[in-house]
Amino acid sequence: MAHIPLKETFAEKPVWFVNFHVKHKIWTLIVLLTTCLLALLFLGPYIYLLLTSLKPSAEAVTAPPTLWPSKFSLENYLKMFDYLPIGKYFLNSLITAGTSTILSVFFGAMAAYGISRFSSITGSYFLLFTLVIRMVPMISIAIPIYMIVKSMGLIDTHFALILVYTSLNVPFAIWLMIGFFDSVPKEFDEAARVDGCSWIGAFIRIILPVSLPGLATTAIFTFMLAWNDFLFSLLMTSTNAKTATVGISEFLTAYNLDLGPMTAAAISFSLPVMIFSFFVQRYIVSGMTLGAVKE
Amino acid sequence: MRLKNGALSTIFFFPAGIFMLVFLVYPIFLLIRDSFYKIDIINPSLREFVGFANYTNSLTSERFLKALWNTVVYIGIAVGFEFILGLILALLLSNAFKGSQFIRTLLLSPLMLAPLVTGIIWKFMLNDQFGIINWGLYKLGILSDPHQILWLSDSRFALYSTIIADIWLTTPFIMLVLLAGIKGIPISLYESAEMDGANKWHRFRYITFPSLIPVATVALLIRIIDAARTFDIVWVLTQGGPGFSSELLSTYMYKTLTRYGEVGQSSAMAVIFIIILLVLSSFFITKMWSPRRRHS
Repeated sequence: MAHIPLKETFAEKPVWFVNFHVKHKIWTLIVLLTTCLLALLFLGPYIYLLLTSLKPSAEAVTAPPTLWPSKFSLENYLKMFDYLPIGKYFLNSLITAGTSTILSVFFGAMAAYGISRFSSITGSYFLLFTLVIRMVPMISIAIPIYMIVKSMGLIDTHFALILVYTSLNVPFAIWLMIGFFDSVPKEFDEAARVDGCSWIGAFIRIILPVSLPGLATTAIFTFMLAWNDFLFSLLMTSTNAKTATVGISEFLTAYNLDLGPMTAAAISFSLPVMIFSFFVQRYIVSGMTLGAVKE
Repeated sequence: MRLKNGALSTIFFFPAGIFMLVFLVYPIFLLIRDSFYKIDIINPSLREFVGFANYTNSLTSERFLKALWNTVVYIGIAVGFEFILGLILALLLSNAFKGSQFIRTLLLSPLMLAPLVTGIIWKFMLNDQFGIINWGLYKLGILSDPHQILWLSDSRFALYSTIIADIWLTTPFIMLVLLAGIKGIPISLYESAEMDGANKWHRFRYITFPSLIPVATVALLIRIIDAARTFDIVWVLTQGGPGFSSELLSTYMYKTLTRYGEVGQSSAMAVIFIIILLVLSSFFITKMWSPRRRHS
């Protein structure tokens, strides 16, 4: 748009037009400022955590507190390994979250396929079942699960955590995948089977690759649930299989005064996840609004 | 060899079904059965049938009722603020101004943040000695002393501190759902309203607000249930203290199981908790389910 001096632009226009134009600009400015302020309010605490983790260790708990590090230092990140076997805890988190994700996605997709293709009556009942499961508070189901795992002698094992995470995730995985499979026309399956594939073969070789977006969304959610879990890990692990969440919380009880390393551990735990979710936000948004909003 | 539909569907469903049966369905039955016994966690095989004693003990116990009340307060205030803030943000971001997409993306990044990390962040910020909240308020002149408010160790404030952390964590989610709902409202509605001379407030009250009600109801239901299930944030911030002032149902149940070793008692409380949530949600679901059927 060519730059026209303001005087000339509005010279010939009636007064009400000028007022409207200015009002609109002021309104847009207000909206912009308010949004930026609120955005800062919400991102501020996390940025503060990040900055604190990059301060020299002693600066994390000064009174009065500081916002910006006097100098950037990775001291906290090195120290966190000294206090607790954080590396081991992170590895445990990775193993349990990763394995349970693979299981949930695969078995969930399989079950969803069965429901989508072979029995739609079960399908709608299953949606109801998933919703009902969602309503059960975690702590309520954690109590009997703890007793079951204890009776199997599997307390403090990766195996038990993986089984529990998979079971918790499977209903949601099935629900998500039913939606995706329902949108793949049945002719597709027929075409796959024409070449003589069995149902399972067709499923693995052709249907699954086509549903990749659905699988990706499911994988992201199931991984997040297991990675971020605190309650089940707290209840069912002690030394061997302890995950990063419980590990980080231990900084609070054992090392109350030197909290710098704790912020470093919290950032190490959450930042990769946040950055990753920034890139796959499209999938996350679709998964979260599914069922809440009609497409 | 062609298998019947029923058999095939069973085969596909089988592995997932086993998982759910063992770790979701069976535990519920175990929970109900255990709630009628007195069981010590150290020696669970020694069990004593007590009928409804666990239930009556809970429902008359002062601590349980206080935890229940705290949970209700928690849900009410947290969800209330989350919806108001989320709505404001969604309305602001629905105006397509330059950078609104970017800000939306930024605001959605805490969606996947672990509640534990939220607890860590706010435990750090609300600390009365070196916490930045107190110091910030002091600098703004609101506090006369930089260590005045003991957010987490004063029984008057502890519960509200946990609520603040929850609001911070969850508002982006509410904003997301409401924004998606707003985006779904046809522009033609707004255009015809504007031609009839409706101003911004009228447009909101008669178009935006009513259209959002179905979406908001679902989000409200999900949020109420999630708020009731809160454990991580409260555990990290206050562990239900000081003196049970921030004790929620979830923390009380956890302590009953692990600190007092009362498996039967905690099972009874778990059942009560489930029943409360089911009753609450069935009210919402019956409202939601029939419109759904009509659409499909």
